[in-house]
Amino acid sequence: MGKTKWMATLGITTLLFGSLLTGCGGGEEAKQANGDSKQGEKVEVTLAGWGGNPSEQKLLQQTLDDFEKTHPNIKVKYEVIADQYMDVIKTRLAGGQGPDVFYLDAFEAPALIETGALEPLDKYVTDEFDIDDFEKPMLDAFKGKDGKIYGFPKDYSTLALFYNKKMFEEAGLEVPKTWDELREVAKKLTKGKDVYGFGVAPELARLYYIAESKGGKVVTDNKASFADPKVVGALQPIVDMHVKDKSAAQPNEVGATWGGEMFGQGKAAMVIEGNWAIPFLQDTFPDVEFGTAEIPMINGKKATMAYTVAYVMNKDSQKKEAAWKLISYLTGKEGMKTWTSKGYALPTRKSVAAELGFDKDPLRAPLVAGAPYATVWQNGTNLPIIVNNFNNQFISAFLGERPLADALKEAEKTANSEIENR
Amino acid sequence: MKQTLTKKMWRETGSAYLFLSPALFVLLLFIIGPIVFAVFLAFHKVQLLGATSFEFVGFDNFTRIANDTRAKIALWNTLKYVVIVVPCQTILALVLAATLNAGLKGERFFRIVYFLPTLTSSAVLTLIFMWMYNQNGLINHVLEAVGLPTYNWLGDPDVALNAIMIMNIWSTAPYFMVIYLAALQDIPDSLYEAAELDGANAWQKFWHVTVPYLRPVTSFVVIMGLIGTFQLFDQSYIFSAGSGGPNNSTLTVVLLIYQYAFKTLGTMGYAAALAFALAIIILIATLLQRKLSKEESLY
Repeated sequence: MGKTKWMATLGITTLLFGSLLTGCGGGEEAKQANGDSKQGEKVEVTLAGWGGNPSEQKLLQQTLDDFEKTHPNIKVKYEVIADQYMDVIKTRLAGGQGPDVFYLDAFEAPALIETGALEPLDKYVTDEFDIDDFEKPMLDAFKGKDGKIYGFPKDYSTLALFYNKKMFEEAGLEVPKTWDELREVAKKLTKGKDVYGFGVAPELARLYYIAESKGGKVVTDNKASFADPKVVGALQPIVDMHVKDKSAAQPNEVGATWGGEMFGQGKAAMVIEGNWAIPFLQDTFPDVEFGTAEIPMINGKKATMAYTVAYVMNKDSQKKEAAWKLISYLTGKEGMKTWTSKGYALPTRKSVAAELGFDKDPLRAPLVAGAPYATVWQNGTNLPIIVNNFNNQFISAFLGERPLADALKEAEKTANSEIENR
Repeated sequence: MKQTLTKKMWRETGSAYLFLSPALFVLLLFIIGPIVFAVFLAFHKVQLLGATSFEFVGFDNFTRIANDTRAKIALWNTLKYVVIVVPCQTILALVLAATLNAGLKGERFFRIVYFLPTLTSSAVLTLIFMWMYNQNGLINHVLEAVGLPTYNWLGDPDVALNAIMIMNIWSTAPYFMVIYLAALQDIPDSLYEAAELDGANAWQKFWHVTVPYLRPVTSFVVIMGLIGTFQLFDQSYIFSAGSGGPNNSTLTVVLLIYQYAFKTLGTMGYAAALAFALAIIILIATLLQRKLSKEESLY
């Protein structure tokens, strides 16, 4: 009996491995079939991204339609990954089923570039593509350690101060120019628990530039260093506004999900948000009169955050030529102009920005003005771990449960031990 | 046995395995295979993206757990959750079942009403509860109306895990209630009659007849509860948008496994080691429970 069982197991195992091997073989065949396209043959390129709002989707579709018109050999299959974008992309890349071209947030870029899953793009770039036209910080965000470019930024967003015009008028206040003024103004605008002067998102992605405003560094040599007294000192005012002044609150304390919503509902007189909040407020809360201004100066210096997303190419893509054509069109002058024409995000090409004139749009000018001095939201391969630990502990300080210095010290320790163990 | 193997027997076992093969194949491919692979991963440093690599690291992944503050927090949260939720939901299920079995009016109606939460998917339930837990939500309004303090259920690290506990007790107790209900209807009336003749009141009947008779069922309910609660994931995932926050208060072991497996690159092996450790913890908890209750007649 024992023998038969053994035989059967062997048989099944062979079967199992056999099927695995055939699975791999399938990939090989596909490679040949999909190889470089011959004349007149249509190539289908998959493009994956997260969905935006309907008007944004329409714009992207229009850009893609234009591309297909000018490149009749290439068909673009656009896939929306609605939720947990990076998880899905990583899983699909690991399984060899990755899209040819996809969105990549600068924040996630260093770690993904390091794995070697992305195709370096330098060799495809032509003079015509005009690489010097890009805003340099945004382009640098997608450079690997080897100095190669792994993605071209499709657009970016910066942060600006959004203020409720009516509330400022009623209180007879001026829009704050410095962070100290902001704190004073916030106190005056606060009406108990109904209206807070300032809506804060207590997370590193939104506080990074403030944390570094006094010369401290959040990340040093790819390790957390935010327990630095300079960083603590820079962040302390935010905590004090919540704990001592009671003039600041995070959105969930008033039942909102994010700053824009909190601001629109009239529960915050000021929030610091990006350009995504402009169309949101105009659509969802048309009655709210708001203005934007550059973020108040900290320590006499201007500062803000910039968030950027690039199109990158999958290294395992079988249609690299076509994929590059798509990337170069989407991040080229023509494609980028169509894509950013409505102002949901700002163009990363200087020439397009000049052509569209967002620096003259009253609501968007402060956002555009921030680009040259903005800190790009990215720092090395370990930033995701660092952020996670920072956010986790910062919130307890923000809620007044313990001193900020202690919280950040513990978070730094945890983050660094996680990094060392990696 | 071996000497008596004849051609016929070979053929018979052969055809038996032939018929079994689809089931065996599925089992191997989807159940045994992944388990073996997970164990394999637990002993390796794995990089799945780009240049795939598996580096054998022995027990490194396991020793790392001991130095991981977040793993300790996750384990502590999970234990706290198990220790509170399992007894609460078991007792609540028993009480609900007993009241439904008492022969009250509208029993059927209440049975349906009580069972409803079980029919809804946990993701939907969590979203609904998040609305109710909202700072301006239903629960705070009710608390305010009766003069009790209100909480920032979602944002305050001290109450976030409790909020999930309350929700889960409410939604899983009915499921176990149904199991109890079936067992209750099995108790012979003669036992109650005898107890009555001895002068037992309602409470004594419940405590001395119902509860002991239900022991095997209770054992089953507790074990299923243990396994379910140790694996808490979706509720805390939705509550904290995958972060385990605020301040790690809703970080559970499975959520941590998810974070290491998918959020950070190159820690798949460590995630597998954590999963392996969790499986062992659940195994130990289950064995302990069985040892303590010593009732194994039901399974």
